[in-house]
Amino acid sequence: MQDVLKVWVDHTRCVGNGFCVMTSEKVFVHNEDRQSEVIDPGADTPEKVLEAARNCPVSAIQVESAITGARLYP
Amino acid sequence: MTSIDLDDLFSAEAIGDPYGFFGALRESDPIHWNARHQLWVITRHADIVWMVRHHELFSSAVIRNDQRPPYPPIDPEDKERFEYVREFRSEQVVEQDRPVHATMRGVVHPFFAPTAMEAWRPFIANAVADLLDEIEPRGGMDVLPDLAAPLPVRVIAQLMGVPPEDREYLRELADKLLYINRGESYRMKPLTEGMRAMVEYVTPFVEKRLQEPSNDFISVLAQGEKAGLFDRHQVLVNTALLLFAGHETTMNLIANGTLAFARHPGQWAQLRADPDGLVRTATEECLRYDAPVKSTQRIAASDVDFHGRSIRTGDRIRWIIAAANRDPLAFADPDAFDITRQPNPHVSFGAGIHYCLGSTLARLEGQEIFRALARRVPKLVLDDPEVEYQPSIQFRSLKSLPISWR
Repeated sequence: MQDVLKVWVDHTRCVGNGFCVMTSEKVFVHNEDRQSEVIDPGADTPEKVLEAARNCPVSAIQVESAITGARLYP
Repeated sequence: MTSIDLDDLFSAEAIGDPYGFFGALRESDPIHWNARHQLWVITRHADIVWMVRHHELFSSAVIRNDQRPPYPPIDPEDKERFEYVREFRSEQVVEQDRPVHATMRGVVHPFFAPTAMEAWRPFIANAVADLLDEIEPRGGMDVLPDLAAPLPVRVIAQLMGVPPEDREYLRELADKLLYINRGESYRMKPLTEGMRAMVEYVTPFVEKRLQEPSNDFISVLAQGEKAGLFDRHQVLVNTALLLFAGHETTMNLIANGTLAFARHPGQWAQLRADPDGLVRTATEECLRYDAPVKSTQRIAASDVDFHGRSIRTGDRIRWIIAAANRDPLAFADPDAFDITRQPNPHVSFGAGIHYCLGSTLARLEGQEIFRALARRVPKLVLDDPEVEYQPSIQFRSLKSLPISWR
């Protein structure tokens, strides 16, 4: 069974680099301040979400397992 | 009272104390038309963040689009060399707008991301230890040539994947490439020599990595070439970019940070009491307090009315990181050097799609340098309390920084 992820963006860190939006437009969008927002954490594979999190230059993307509550990133 | 010409960006005041100079401008005219240099000078933190994040309004293709003669002026016989430099630099990732930028950045970005970069930390820590083992018994050093300059070149050589015995040669090339940010009228000669030698030196490595990819940066670019996303010229130019962008900037982080600690012995004592716990926020504060890059430029891609000012397509814009990082609207007690400051939303790496590709690498190098110095050096004493800076608009570069610990 695929994990269900809880994903959010720490806006004190997000610099609007947008690499997450490039990685998965289904999960991440830019808000009007050009910071990243999560619209639907389940819209893409967990691998894609974690790829976006690992490539965030300021580690603003926080990922947990919604099932176990375990921290997956950072 | 003497009045300061706030439009002379090369004045002794602007170079010596950019915080006072641009701070005054931030408080009096934060979106300022500089008639002397014909450009907009932007100094408020919030304005800079907004503008940098609106990349579609403010183009990064400055070198390609700015047709004005070089400033400060160059030797008249060097026009051809200048054109070579212009053509070379306009292929850098940093000079692209979308959609080309997104494609090129997509190739190189993961290599520099935090998770991937962390794997290089032990190498960096060892390189710092090597340098300090040699320096420490001397009881003092000039931070620039002894520590701040050699470390980044050593790290970049490793990231590029070139053999250690070539390090000295790469250092020679790096020294020539540093002329990119100098004002001497003869600077195009060493600069083009460095660029041409770099292309010649890197080419066989690219050929080899196309056949046998490894874990280095040249392999990443070679894979980009294989996938048809970079041409060969762009691969060579962007390998050189690693030296352009990662050398002087890191030098300045190390030297300016060391100077800040020497001038704030209380903060140094605090870091020494808990280097592992404080080195991350301390490095961020060094980046904020005396940023390696003072300012950066864009060129307006459309007409923008901004806080009542009319910016027109083609206008040159310079945003002043040094002023934004000391903006009282963004930071409490902005002129205090506080290594525990959190959050610390400095704009020393910019923001938006062009957020510094090498930021994680710079952070790693800063953290490992300041951690090692804090463990080894009880007291940083300036040999000369007066320091001098290179006359650059862009870089906050000390000319030298002799210190002692005996």
